[in-house]
Amino acid sequence: MENNLLISIVNFIILLIAPFFVIGIIKKTKAFWGGRYGVSIMQPLWDFLRLFKKRRVISTTTSWIFSIAPIVVLTTTLCAGLFAPMIKGVSIVDVEAAFIIFSYVLGFGKFFALVGAMDTGSSFEGMGASREACFTTIIEPAFFIILASTIALSGNYNFSSITNLVQNWGSFGVLITIIAVIALLVMLLSECSRVPVDDPTTHLELTMIHEVMILDNSGVDLALCTWANGIKMVILMGLIANFIIPNDLSLALSGALFLLIIFVLALIIGTLESGIARFRMSHVFEFIFVMCSFALVVASLAAVKMFGV
Amino acid sequence: MENFFIGIVILVFGAFLSLFVKNQSIKLKLVTLGALVGSIFALFSALSALFVGNYEYTLHFGTIFPNVRFVLDNLSAFFVVVISVMSTLGVIYSNGYLKPYIEKGKDLSAHCIFLPMLLASMLLVVTVQNALTFLIVWELMSLSSFFLVIFEHEKAEVIKSGIKYLVYMHVSVVFIIAAFVLLTINTSSFDFAHFKAVLANDNYIADIVFILAFIGFGIKAGFTPFHNWLPDAHPAAPSHVSGIMSGVMIKTGIYGILRTLDIIGTPSAKLGFFVLIISTISALYGVLYAICQHDLKRLLAYHSIENIGIIGMGIGVGMIGLTYNCTPVAVLGFTGGILHVLNHSIFKELLFLAAGSVYVKTHTRDIEILGGLLKSMPKTGALFLLGSIAICGLPPFNGFISEFLIYFGMLKGLTINHFIVFIAMILALAGLALVGTMAILCFTKAFSIIFLGEARSENASKVKEDNSSVFILPMAILGLFITFVGIFPEVVFDVLTKPASIFVEIGDYSNITNLMQIISFVSLGLLIAIVFLHILKSKIYKNVENHVTWGCGYNRANPYMQYSASSYASPFISTLTPLFKRVADIKKPKAVFEGEAHYSLHMEDVEEAYFLQPVISAIEKFLTGFEKIQNGNIQSYIMYGLIFLVLALAGVVALG
Repeated sequence: MENNLLISIVNFIILLIAPFFVIGIIKKTKAFWGGRYGVSIMQPLWDFLRLFKKRRVISTTTSWIFSIAPIVVLTTTLCAGLFAPMIKGVSIVDVEAAFIIFSYVLGFGKFFALVGAMDTGSSFEGMGASREACFTTIIEPAFFIILASTIALSGNYNFSSITNLVQNWGSFGVLITIIAVIALLVMLLSECSRVPVDDPTTHLELTMIHEVMILDNSGVDLALCTWANGIKMVILMGLIANFIIPNDLSLALSGALFLLIIFVLALIIGTLESGIARFRMSHVFEFIFVMCSFALVVASLAAVKMFGV
Repeated sequence: MENFFIGIVILVFGAFLSLFVKNQSIKLKLVTLGALVGSIFALFSALSALFVGNYEYTLHFGTIFPNVRFVLDNLSAFFVVVISVMSTLGVIYSNGYLKPYIEKGKDLSAHCIFLPMLLASMLLVVTVQNALTFLIVWELMSLSSFFLVIFEHEKAEVIKSGIKYLVYMHVSVVFIIAAFVLLTINTSSFDFAHFKAVLANDNYIADIVFILAFIGFGIKAGFTPFHNWLPDAHPAAPSHVSGIMSGVMIKTGIYGILRTLDIIGTPSAKLGFFVLIISTISALYGVLYAICQHDLKRLLAYHSIENIGIIGMGIGVGMIGLTYNCTPVAVLGFTGGILHVLNHSIFKELLFLAAGSVYVKTHTRDIEILGGLLKSMPKTGALFLLGSIAICGLPPFNGFISEFLIYFGMLKGLTINHFIVFIAMILALAGLALVGTMAILCFTKAFSIIFLGEARSENASKVKEDNSSVFILPMAILGLFITFVGIFPEVVFDVLTKPASIFVEIGDYSNITNLMQIISFVSLGLLIAIVFLHILKSKIYKNVENHVTWGCGYNRANPYMQYSASSYASPFISTLTPLFKRVADIKKPKAVFEGEAHYSLHMEDVEEAYFLQPVISAIEKFLTGFEKIQNGNIQSYIMYGLIFLVLALAGVVALG
């Protein structure tokens, strides 16, 4: 119990700080593949702090929705982070059916991100919002299928149901883990708006998704939005890590492995962004459907294992 | 129970008294007073039935209806609470909504009679325990709501929708009568208690009865293949009537289904799957069509179908739990479904009332020409936002609690260890998640196009909020309910186990209560954190620079350049093209400098276009065959009479 409290505190600190380093590592990786020296890994953190000193510039069209949206996005992301398992599969709030609360709390944030973007009356931001809303519709069901399958397999209703597939189900668990991890990777790329779904460094508003939604945010609002997005990325990476890491490792080893996997995932994202271009908007939907089919495969595998059909 | 009947009498008396008043506004006030006092009596008796003990009362009406039992058991009492509270708020709101009509000199006599009639008949429907009397009050309810729908009967499309509604309701009643007839010939009684005693050991009849009753009540509730009256009737009716109908009246269909379930006892496995499948389809279908609507009230009507689907999913999960004898699944399913009945009545009524306020001010239901109303109508806007978040099932508000219970029931259902149940639960789970995200898409669209950005038309830019309490108070009360249920779910869950206990032995549910407490804690924390940070931010960053929205360097953007509702929904809808019937209305410019051009796109209901219309035209074709007989020619009619007489004589002679 004492131990869990300590891990929870460490988890929360990771949740708050890791986003900057993850984004820093991604940028560094992209610089490496681009043959540039690149900015320091700490740069996102400095950017973040610098934004706090800046003045807010607000569109005259906007209402209080625009102003409150970044705060809602940040608080909900942090709140969702309380339910997600991190190091050693420990969630800060460990309850049954936590993944539903997790997704819906994130959904609340997404609702405000969308209306916040629409509040500016800009057609660019409307474009981004409509795409984001559209992609979410199919990510969520797939995520639910995967999590429900792990719950059915393990009989454990908590979020930690994803942690011990490999030990309990042997080679079968390995298979499920691989497919689930690929599906979650698609979710990660899409939810955190990375290539090939969305290019965060593009300069054309028409091709953006997430970046264009926060086009009119400035100063502290922009800082909160980017931070929230980074936290979401760390949470999802943490989920992937928990799928992979075996449960019976010692705390130190498990923690080190957790951080290593997040590091590797950042490298993978950086490499992907350097290696391939953004998909055409109409293909993005197809790409996200990959996650749905993989989720259904996970469910079928779980059914096969449970009922031996 | 006497209090309950006093309430009904007061309601009817209010309607009766309004006949003798000339002044329209006083007439409406009289009805409101009647509804308020009557509902308080009904509410009081229902609450004491829930918390103290159930009531039963037998009335005697001569030889045809010797023993008509009225019961306020937990289920009935719950529905009485929902009906009395929500309807009264709608009636109070009508005082504001109908003001412009009164000023125009509209006669409200019919409206003032049928509004309390509807309330009284709904209250009777959920308490009466006698099949024949049930049908009478059911019919009374359908008819009074029909007259409320055709309030603006001078408009052709209103009459058309009204007639459609009436036809649907009578098809519904046919199925209900069939179910009751089956029960009555097997029990030779009209009393629900006798039905129950006989059906306990006859599964075959129980299945047929349930399916018939489900179709009959499902038409009223608006489950998918039978939903088509909803999107037409709601836009036609005045807003408070749509609010009462969508929030409360369609729930009597759910009550009917639950009561039938209570009568048939433990359902067979196929019934649970049947309900779950139909409900999942309804939920998906409703929200899918809601996304492509531009008419605000039509959009809300389709959302009613979605929410009825969610309620049905809860009931289906509960039924599967009953069949497979898995108590936690049954408890979670039924409490989730029943809580969603309450929740939907709250937020749907709030949304309809807010839509009414918008309509009164802008005179349009087309959201494409609205915009920026949050600044001119801040209270209505904020309440609409609250309702939108709640209807999407997002925490920290009430919709989340019921959806969470249903989800949790499905998760528990995964461990029933039965292959078909596993597949059904996984798919229902994904379906509910899909419904949730699509609802987010739909309501971010509705809210932001109506209330955010810049006004898209002259009408929308000149709006000023009506701050009179008849407008704001009912909505504010509903908003309070939404927040209360969201923040104190453990209290509400505790009460809800009572109606659910009709179907399943509740047992120990402390783990769910604990979970609810954690949700309550998180919700409260989330709200406090948001408010605190918002205040903190505005304190620290007082120095704000205003600028126009970034337009890619173009600073003369006009409101028509904003994203519209159609464009917002387009990425999603275009991926699902086969599911719609697209009807485009195009007027191309012909000459080089011709000014006029027009393009609009409507999505028509495929169920109506590809199923209902063919059926109707087939029936029409068949029936037009009889036109030759009924040709309006008096000579032929005389001939028919002659032929009949001759045949009758011949028959008498032949038979001796």
